[in-house]
Amino acid sequence: MKFETSPIGDSVLAVRGVGRLNMVSAAALRETVADALTTGRTRIVIDLSGIEFVDSSGLGALIGCLKSARQAGGDLRIAQPTAQVAMVLRLSNLDRVLKSYGSTEEAYGG
Amino acid sequence: MVEGPSVLRLTTPPADVNDVHDFVIAELNRHPDLNAMDRMVFVTALIELATNVIQHADTGAGVTCTLSLRVGHDRIEAQLSDTAEDGGIKLVARGMPADEMAESGRGIALIQALVDELRYERVGDRNLWSIAKSTTHPGSPDVSVVF
Repeated sequence: MKFETSPIGDSVLAVRGVGRLNMVSAAALRETVADALTTGRTRIVIDLSGIEFVDSSGLGALIGCLKSARQAGGDLRIAQPTAQVAMVLRLSNLDRVLKSYGSTEEAYGG
Repeated sequence: MVEGPSVLRLTTPPADVNDVHDFVIAELNRHPDLNAMDRMVFVTALIELATNVIQHADTGAGVTCTLSLRVGHDRIEAQLSDTAEDGGIKLVARGMPADEMAESGRGIALIQALVDELRYERVGDRNLWSIAKSTTHPGSPDVSVVF
């Protein structure tokens, strides 16, 4: 899976992919976010509206990206999870760590 | 008529978990009466199990897995066997990692939260994993309605 990025304002970067976030695609998400952080955009929002499926490998990538963003002085938030993604976040108690927003613009109060 | 199980054999690499996913979706699509929530829950558990097998069974030489899937009237079952070494696996009820920022360790707990049965046994030179989930009676609404 290829993740596409689009800037929002001066410091936020939205990251979007379409498909399954699993052990095959998790590395691409980590790389995309790592690249974004090196450019100085440290407030990341992952647009999950195109992610039809996530497993614990995908959750691990999201948490890893969250930690990287915070280490860089920013944060990572998520927007528009699909039903399966919301279920997995809830069952793994990660809905408390990765709060969902209704849109990428809302994630940072824009 | 009771159908026999559908079977997928694959070797990773080059196959990966997406091949398992495609197979499971195609098989479940043959059962349009299957409740959407049951389908989502079972696919999530099965892919989690397949990922676990592929990740932990692969010692560098790849792993050959056989997946058997059976959709019954009120139950979905899957068995996944692999050719990996006996890892001395002991399956116990697990919670999510105490560290909520942990990047791994959620797979088995997720499966246990999703399905009614998760079993592991060593059979001959193979590891055999089984999961099963009771399904909602065909025709029932996806979301229960409380009056």
